[in-house]
Amino acid sequence: MSYVFFPGCSLDGTAKDFHRSTLAVAAKLGLDLPELKDWICCGSTAAHSTDPLLADALPAKSLSNAGGATVAVACAACYSRLKTANHRIAGDPAVRARVARVVGNDYDGLTPVRHLLEILCRDIGLARIAQSIRRPLAGLKVACYYGCLLTRPPEITNFDDAENPTLMDRLMETAGATPLEWPHKTECCGASFSITDASIVLELSNQILAMAQAAGADCIATACPLCQLNLDMRQKDIEARFGRQYNLPVFYFTQLLGLAMGCPADELSLRSLVVEPQEVLAAKGIGC
Amino acid sequence: MSTAIAATIEIQDLGGLAGDVKARSGASPMSCFQCAKCSSGCPVAARADLKPHEAVRMVQMDQREAVLSSRFIWECTSCQTCSTRCPQQVDPAAMNDALRAMSRAARKVSVGTAVPAFNDIFLATVRRRGRIYEMGLMVRFKLRTRRLFEDIGKAPAMLLKGKLPLVGPRIAGRAGRKAMFRRAAQGGDQ
Repeated sequence: MSYVFFPGCSLDGTAKDFHRSTLAVAAKLGLDLPELKDWICCGSTAAHSTDPLLADALPAKSLSNAGGATVAVACAACYSRLKTANHRIAGDPAVRARVARVVGNDYDGLTPVRHLLEILCRDIGLARIAQSIRRPLAGLKVACYYGCLLTRPPEITNFDDAENPTLMDRLMETAGATPLEWPHKTECCGASFSITDASIVLELSNQILAMAQAAGADCIATACPLCQLNLDMRQKDIEARFGRQYNLPVFYFTQLLGLAMGCPADELSLRSLVVEPQEVLAAKGIGC
Repeated sequence: MSTAIAATIEIQDLGGLAGDVKARSGASPMSCFQCAKCSSGCPVAARADLKPHEAVRMVQMDQREAVLSSRFIWECTSCQTCSTRCPQQVDPAAMNDALRAMSRAARKVSVGTAVPAFNDIFLATVRRRGRIYEMGLMVRFKLRTRRLFEDIGKAPAMLLKGKLPLVGPRIAGRAGRKAMFRRAAQGGDQ
């Protein structure tokens, strides 16, 4: 299967570490991820809460450039918007016709869209991943946090079990880590309210951090730039607001996988993490 | 999910707010039988002025003014938990998308929410640049909402960690994007 990569806007900014670690892991696996030509922003929540037509047209414009390749996506929000647009365009001729008039060319809604977790776990397969593990993350207890938009709504994303997804858990297990059973895998972190009303994010992300800590996590693994930013960059604010102490590093799953594959720390941008992970990793004898 | 039951309970378009919501978003507020499963899982139900099942009920009862001026529709995080768990396929998340657009069109937006300003700046950035430039977005938002110093302490660390590049992306095709946004605003009829 050939892929083109839709990194999404965050991966060139606040989630630069997600971008670099994704490419580092892909290189170890011989997975070619050329960037989708002239991709534009998916429109995110701003588009779908303003105008449904624009929310379908922005992804359609990018997806119609894929030239038959499967579009690989890292950001959970982009993934959700691209898949939702596909679902609506392929499922309703009237929507398809309106989008065609807006975009200027007819897009059928059939370009396949896959998240990196699906590509790693299902297309490449865990057996192949296991062969590329050089430094297993032995003893590292990871709370795998999926957030909202990978699994919901399941009719559209068709990603994994909507209430208890396990794809990332199985990947972390393959990397030698110990994924934890915990109940907040798919709770909402507050997403872009980080900018418009941070009190929502502090409250919701606090519950996620508290539950991860209660489950005995050494760290959290994420698959979404907004989730990572809220749990990591706002962790100090959350501790201050609620009088808690977490000190929980919040990785992108690609950073942990890259560590297990033996990628050097700078290729994984571990320095970009706000809650520094060195102590936790050193305590488990994981060099970086 | 029990499609057959949902189909029999769905009442034909009664016009009014429920009809408007359905026409705009495909959501089916009239199918709701108030099980409140949406509210049990809603991350903002505890803080908002309405819970999702209450908002759906008010849409059924054509309480246009109260719903369109509520804080709830702007505090919804679009997490999709309600729509995923609803046994009646009401799709409250899609309902909220429609209500937000209607609230703006009717000039009923709850005082104090910064979400519409954020959405406007976000979409204007996409129209102009093709992609979001996070730092530029933040600066414009702060100027517009006059929250200049909120979170300003985070900027130096973010810069040092390479998370805020100083130059934003610009994708070719600005004229084409402007035309695309204009056609979308016209409903794609032309």
